[in-house]
Order: sequence, then structure tokens, then C-alpha cells
Amino acid sequence: MKLDKLIKKLKQGDVRAVARLLTLIENEDKSVETILRNIWPLTGKSYIIGITGPPGAGKSTIVDLLANIALKNNLKVGILAVDPTSPFSGGAVLGDRLRMNSAQQSGIFIRSVASRGHLGGLAATTRFMINGLEMLGNDITLVETVGAGQGDVEIVKVADTTIVVEVPGLGDEVQAQKAGILEIGDILVVNKGDRPGSDRLAKELKMMLSLGEHTEWTPPIVTTTAIKERGIEELWNEIIEHKKYLENNEINKTRLNKIQYDLENQLSQQLFTKKMIQVGENEIENMSKKIFKREIDPFTAIETIIKQ
Amino acid sequence: MEKAKIRVLIAKPGLDGHDRGAKVIARALRDSGMEVIYTGLRQSPEDIVGAAIQEDVHFIGLSILSGAHSHIFPKVVELLKENNAEDIKIIAGGIIPDQEIPKWKKIGIDAIFGPGTSTKDIIEYINRSVK
Repeated sequence: MKLDKLIKKLKQGDVRAVARLLTLIENEDKSVETILRNIWPLTGKSYIIGITGPPGAGKSTIVDLLANIALKNNLKVGILAVDPTSPFSGGAVLGDRLRMNSAQQSGIFIRSVASRGHLGGLAATTRFMINGLEMLGNDITLVETVGAGQGDVEIVKVADTTIVVEVPGLGDEVQAQKAGILEIGDILVVNKGDRPGSDRLAKELKMMLSLGEHTEWTPPIVTTTAIKERGIEELWNEIIEHKKYLENNEINKTRLNKIQYDLENQLSQQLFTKKMIQVGENEIENMSKKIFKREIDPFTAIETIIKQ
Repeated sequence: MEKAKIRVLIAKPGLDGHDRGAKVIARALRDSGMEVIYTGLRQSPEDIVGAAIQEDVHFIGLSILSGAHSHIFPKVVELLKENNAEDIKIIAGGIIPDQEIPKWKKIGIDAIFGPGTSTKDIIEYINRSVK
């Protein structure tokens, strides 16, 4: 598709055009800059809900159910579901769609995304993919992360509301005290609520929150049994509560902070690339050798390179 | 486009539940560096074509062992046409009688891989067609 034709179709909210744009963004294709420049004013209009948690916690099932509730409330939904890329082959099996049958049947746009080597729970291009998806005119974007470990907290820099899904049976109460993924939840979900240990996990999470700093928003803990569609209405209501809370508390400031964070990241990447081209790989290799031989220390090396 | 990946949707239309073949193919394509969207069992042609468009795949891979292919093949081809998505190619595997193969190729099934096909051949075929 020619670029101007693609942009025109994007502006009309054409599904194939949006799907193609998402591919271009994922591939970090050269045309992406031009396209995003053209559509930028039209993006940023959806409320972004992030869902994270360990593999097998029930994230996809919950996303599927939330999407349908949103639809019932006459809201248009788009879904991005990230799964890991194999570090060995570079390939991926993306299976989140498997659990999103009802969303698919409702005609909701679902896109499976491979992490392509990026760490943190998302792909490097997820932010722009959300913007691309917004060309469909969706009110809500649901973003499901890779099955996350304790350090995969990037979603919080992307989502307006972050939901952390936990399940019973993964560890003792000390796990709940650790820093990382549990800290980022605006809403905590204990899924598989029909399993033994779920009440206890909910209590432990509550305890953890009460020990922490008291902020204006205390993350609610919702127990769900997603496979039986239990607790999802409550979860939806908490999302709406959190949205209201943000709207009363400078949501634009929070969003602005996230954009600044992105801008700094992109800037540092571009400056890095520019500098690397300028000094050349050989110079970096030479400096590394010197550091290795203790002829120079890393700090002086960096200073020298920056001055070049 | 150095970061471009080949994307393949593997779908299991119809009512039979034998998805081992589909899973073996999904895994083999993954191990060759492709991104495979696996949709699971009992997918209607509408589901499959809708998903293929959203996922912007190069190929749809259909695994059918029940004989339902004579209904499903034409339907998938037709739906792709309706959506101006004929550039998405269809490959199929499972139990498709040899004597029918020319007929299906004629209506727009790109390739049919019967029982005993090596996964290597399928990977090579896909790689060749995308280039």
C-alpha cells in the first residue's frame, strides 16, 4: 500500500490499514515516523488498562471478560496481547487469542504482539502500537503483558490503570513484601478464587498494603474466578473508580509524566545511536581493551568518548 | 525492514479435536524464527479470516482432519476476497485426498501438505514464498 493511501485509510479507521500500521511499527520500519507524524493529533484518546501478572494467572481470560463488559457499556475496545519471543530462534507462539474467543466473536480488534527480545513485560514498540490501534476510534485499550516476573514493571509507564493478577500457591507471605510488580498495581486481583489459599493470599496482600505508605489511592483487592466469570463486574467497577480518581487528580499530569519518560528514552536512544556512528565501533572496542588492561578507568573512558 | 518477521496464523477449523498436528507445526515454525498466532480449536471461517486480518499475517495455516475442508476451503477463500485480503496466502494440512489437491489449488489454496510431510519442507516453502 502506498504511504499516502495508507494514511488516508488510517484516518478512516480502516481495519486492514490499522493492522498494517501495527506491523510497520513492530518492524520499526522507516515509514513509521512519517505515518505517526501525520496521525499523531488523532491519537491518545483511549483509556489504557494494563493487565500483568505471572504466566498462567488468567490474564487473557480476564482481558476477554473485561472487553465484553466494556462492550456492554457501549465502549469500543482494542486489545494488545504481548507474549515472549524465543531468545534462541527469534520466533514466538502467540497464544493469548486462544483465551479471547468471546472478544473475538464480538468483533473486537485483538493483536498478538511478540516481545522481540525486549525485557520489562512489553515490546519496545508497544507504546506506538497503542497509538496505532487508537486509529480505530477505541475508547479503551487493554494491554496484556508477557507473563511477568517480579521486575517486569514497564506497563506502569504505559497504562492509566494497572491491574496486577496474582494466584494462590506461588509463595509465602514474604513474597508479598518484596518490591516490584506488586507495587505497581492500581488494582490487585486474586484470581482462581475457587482454589485453596486464595482467601489467605487476599489477606496477605491487604496486610502488605496496610504496612506501606498511605497514599490517596489505596489499591483495592478483588477476588475473581475468571473461568467461571465470577468477580469480573466488581473488577470493572474498581477500574471505573480508579478512572474517576485519576480524573479528579490531574490525570493529564500523570499522562504528561509518562510522555516525558518516553521522550527521554527515545532521545537517549537516538543520541546514543548518533554518538556511536560518530565515534565508530572501533573506538569503543579500543576503549574496552584499555579498560580491560587497566590502562584507563571506565569513567575517564566515557568522558573521553563524550568529548570526541 | 530488517526486523520484519514472518507471521503465520495456525487455525483448526471444524469440529474434530485432533490438534497435535497444528501444535507440531506451530512449534516448528516458531523454532525457525517465525511468529505463530495459534487460535485453538473449532474456529469458524469468519473467526479465522477476522483474526488473520487483525494479526496481519502472511499465511493462514489450516489443519483439518474431519473432511470439513470441502466446506471450509472455499469459504475462507471467499471471505479473504470479500475483505480485499487475497494477499494473505492459505496453506493446509491434515487429511485432504490427493486427487482433490489440484481442485483446491485452483480455487486459491496455495499449498497442501499431507501426512508425512517434513516440517522442514513447510518452513522452506513459507520462507521461499514470502521473499
